[in-house]
Amino acid sequence: MNATACYFVNWMEPENTAIARGLRRHDPDLLDRLIEQYQHRLLRYLIYLTGSRETAEDLFQETWLRVLERGGQYDGKHNFSTWLFAVARNLTIDLQRRKKPESLDTPRGEDEAPLDIPDSGQPSALDVVAQRELSERVMAGLARIPADYRETIVLRFHEGLSLEEIATVTGAPVGTVKSRLYRGLNALMPRLKGAQG
Amino acid sequence: MTHDPHQQAQELIACRGDGLTEAQQTWLQAHLASCDSCRDYAEAADQLVRALRSVPIAADPALVRTTQLRARAYAHKLQQQQERMWLIWISCAVVTLFTALTTPLLWQGFAWVGAWIRVPALLWQTGFVMFWIAPALAASLLFAARGTFLGSRNGTPQG
Ligand SMILES: [Zn+2]
Repeated sequence: MNATACYFVNWMEPENTAIARGLRRHDPDLLDRLIEQYQHRLLRYLIYLTGSRETAEDLFQETWLRVLERGGQYDGKHNFSTWLFAVARNLTIDLQRRKKPESLDTPRGEDEAPLDIPDSGQPSALDVVAQRELSERVMAGLARIPADYRETIVLRFHEGLSLEEIATVTGAPVGTVKSRLYRGLNALMPRLKGAQG
Repeated sequence: MTHDPHQQAQELIACRGDGLTEAQQTWLQAHLASCDSCRDYAEAADQLVRALRSVPIAADPALVRTTQLRARAYAHKLQQQQERMWLIWISCAVVTLFTALTTPLLWQGFAWVGAWIRVPALLWQTGFVMFWIAPALAASLLFAARGTFLGSRNGTPQG
């Protein structure tokens, strides 16, 4: 781990230690606060991971119940978000294994529907239309690349996790994370050509 | 790691941020200053990241509220379980301590009564063992009866 990452971990420690202590006590107020704080990030990750908002919303609730159940296992040494994403990921893998054995390691087929984008509810304008078009292309592009590339790209560029943290969440070595980032970008870039500007 | 400098540069571009050492950053900057295609690649990667971050996905407030309510109810249930377990542990500790303290006294009491009413040692020793395991025996009979009762109420076959 480099110096910046070490500094970051030390700086985060008091907050993480407080979360770990609260989770061991099953503190409901802490849970309220964490659910509020991580609502968008967790749901976004789950939508990218599962490709379905409905499934993601179910898993969103299950993830927080699992966090309560397994709270004693969070040691407060890592960022809470890293542990949270790992819990959500394991639940998703469990669910997808029950449905069909190969999902997380297989790209979604070309015939399947792309990831659904909810209506943002913002006031309409030309910019909004263009933005929506770009978003749809991003989501469609993500849906067509291999799941492990998609997950790595989302964790890195959307959720801002460090390479070490992504390695912790996905259980892959840092070298693999780096290569997935590179390959994922290469797979995604051609699909977005013409949509940017 | 590859020896093609352009591919190497593009691999480093994908890991910009905390993923590069200072030497790698310096090398990448020097390469980008002199290579148009890698500069274009870096620009395209930046645009892609901006596009990714602009995708609007927000959690529905109703989902958040429902999750908070479910979590709150579950947290209370787990807290109660934790308190019950704590009580059980304390009871076990107290019982163990009490047993350790009283067993030698009880043994001496049985020995004294055995000598007083002049019975063989084996008899008062058997009496002591019966007395010692009586509570556990009574409790297990009680639990067995309760299990049978619940089993018959649920319509499950009884053992
Ligand atoms: Zn180059």
